[in-house]
Amino acid sequence: MVELLPDISKKLDHILAGLPGILPEMVLAAAFIASIFSGLLVDRWWKHGTFALTLTGIGVAAWCSAWPLAPPYGGNLLFGMVMPDGLGQSVRLLTALVCALFAVAVNANPDFTVHRKRTADLYSVLLALHIGLNLMAMATNWLMLFVAIEMVSVGSYVLVGYLAKTRQHTEAAMKYVLFGAACSAVMLYGLSFLYGFTGQLDYTAAAYHDGLNAMPPALVTVALLLVFAGIGFKLSFVPFHFWTPDVYQGAPTPVTAFLSTAPKIAGMAMLGRILHASPVDSAALENLHLILIVAAAATMLLGNLAALRQTNVKRMMAYSSIGHTGFLMMAVLAYASGEYTVLLFYLAVYALMNMGVFMLADYIEGRTGADDVDGYRGLGKVLPLPFVCFVILLVSLTGLPPTAGFIAKLLVFSAAFSNWQLHGDPGMMALLIIGALTTVISLFYYFKVPLNAFLRKSSRTPGLRPLPAVTVWVVALLSAAVLLLGVFPGWLMTAP
Amino acid sequence: MITITHFLVVGAWLFSIGLYAVLARRNAILVLVGIELMINAAILNLVAFGRYDSSLYGGQAFALFAIVLAAAAVAVALAIILNVYKHHKTVNPEDISDLKD
Repeated sequence: MVELLPDISKKLDHILAGLPGILPEMVLAAAFIASIFSGLLVDRWWKHGTFALTLTGIGVAAWCSAWPLAPPYGGNLLFGMVMPDGLGQSVRLLTALVCALFAVAVNANPDFTVHRKRTADLYSVLLALHIGLNLMAMATNWLMLFVAIEMVSVGSYVLVGYLAKTRQHTEAAMKYVLFGAACSAVMLYGLSFLYGFTGQLDYTAAAYHDGLNAMPPALVTVALLLVFAGIGFKLSFVPFHFWTPDVYQGAPTPVTAFLSTAPKIAGMAMLGRILHASPVDSAALENLHLILIVAAAATMLLGNLAALRQTNVKRMMAYSSIGHTGFLMMAVLAYASGEYTVLLFYLAVYALMNMGVFMLADYIEGRTGADDVDGYRGLGKVLPLPFVCFVILLVSLTGLPPTAGFIAKLLVFSAAFSNWQLHGDPGMMALLIIGALTTVISLFYYFKVPLNAFLRKSSRTPGLRPLPAVTVWVVALLSAAVLLLGVFPGWLMTAP
Repeated sequence: MITITHFLVVGAWLFSIGLYAVLARRNAILVLVGIELMINAAILNLVAFGRYDSSLYGGQAFALFAIVLAAAAVAVALAIILNVYKHHKTVNPEDISDLKD
C-alpha cells in the first residue's frame, strides 16, 4: 500500500488533466441531477421547467463540445478510455441536435403531456442517454464501450415502456428489453474472450492487436462475432434487426424518432472507430470485414424489400431505417481510413430527415388519427404545410436532387467507388450495385405517401383535433435545411 | 489442480444453458433468468482471465461493472414485464403478438 502512494497522486493528476476533454458530459451530468430536482420542485409552479432545463443543458453541452475551452486532444484520455477527437465532437453535436428535437417532440405530444407520470422523468432519462451516446462515440476501450452501450440501452427501454398505455406499447417494450438484454449478454461473453486472448481492454493499443494476431483466426473471428451481436443490435443490421419493426411500430412516435436516429449515429461512429483501429493484415479482421460487407448488403436489400409491403407508416419507416443502416455501413466500410467527412455528412442529413419524418408522422397521427398510408388519402389539401415537408423529406430519403439526401448518397457512392478502384475489392462493387438498386426500390414505397395525400381523394372529411403547431414549424426548418444543404453541401463539409 | 480450462468449461456450460433458456421462450421471467446466466458466464470468464492480468486488474473491474449493469437492466426489464402483465394477463412471449408483419 505504501509503495502505491506516489503512484496515486500521479494517477489523480492524470485524471484531472483529462477532465476538460469530457466537459460536455460533465455539464450533462449536472443537468441530469438538476432535472431530477426540478421535476420534483419546479414543475409544480412552471409546467415547462424541466423541459427548459433539459434544452438548456443540451445546448450548453453542445456549445462546450463545439468550442472547446482547451485545445482539442489528439490522444486517449483517462487511461485510454475515451478519445474526444474531431469525429467525437461532430457526433456529440449531432446527438445533441437529435436529443433537443426529441425533447421538443415530446413536449408537443399530448400522449406524454397529459400522462399521469408527467414528462420530467423522461427528460432526466434523455439527459442520461445523451451522456451514454456521447461516450459511445468516443470510447476507445471495451469496458467504456460496454458501459456506454448499456447506458443507451437501459435508457431506451425506459423510453419505449414509459407510457405503457396500450397493449402495443407494453409489447414493444418487452420485445425490446428481452432482445436487447440477450444481445448485450452475448456481447459481454465475446468481450470476455477478447480480453482473455490479449489481456487488454483498449482496442487501439498495439498489444491488443499483437495478442489477436497470435491467436488462431477462427477463435478470434468467433469472439468478434459475439461482440458484434451487441453492436448489431444497437445498429439493427441483419440478422439482428428482428426487434426493429415491432418496436418502432409499438413505441410512442417521438420515441421511435429518437431510437431510429440517435443510437444509430453514435453506433456508426463507434463502428468506424473499431474498424479504423484494426490493422488490415490480420486474418480474423479480414473475415470480420467480409462478414460486415455481407451484412450491409443483406440489410439494404431486406430493409427496402420488406418496406414495400407495409401499410403502417411507422412500420414502413422502420424498414426504411434498416435500409439506411445498410447504406451507412457501406459508408463506414468504404472509409475505414480515418477520414469521416462523408460519413458525418450522411449522418447529419439522416438525422435531419429521419427526425423530421417521424415528427410529422406523430403530428399527423395526433391531428387526424391516421397512422397508415390509406388513412393519408386526401389529407394533402387539409394539412398542406406538413405534407409538403413530408414530400421534401421523403425525396431526400430516396436520394433525389435537389435535396441533401442526394448529395449524401452521391458522396457515399463515390467513396465506395474510389475504394474499389484502390483495393479492387469485389465486395465493395457488390455493395455499390445493391445500393443503387435499393435506392430505386425505395422510391416505390416512399411514393405511396404523396400518392395518397395529394392524388387520391377521400370519401370522408377527416375531423381535425387541435394540436400545438410547434412540431410543424420545427419540421419546416428541418426540411428547409435539407433543401439548402442539397444546394450548398459545402456549408457542412467544411465544418470541423 | 484447478486450471483456467475448468473455469472456461463451466463458463461455456453456463452460457449454453442461458442461451437455451432464452431461445426456448417459455416465459419472460425465465428468459431474464437465462440472460442472467449468460452474463454470469461472461463474468466468470472475465475474472478467470483477470488472474493473469495482475498489473491492471482489467477483468476484475469489468466484472464489477458488468454485475451492476446487469442488475440495472433486470430492474427495468421486470418493471416492463409487470406492465405487460397488466395489459395482456400473460408473460409468455409466444402469446403476445399484436405486432407482427
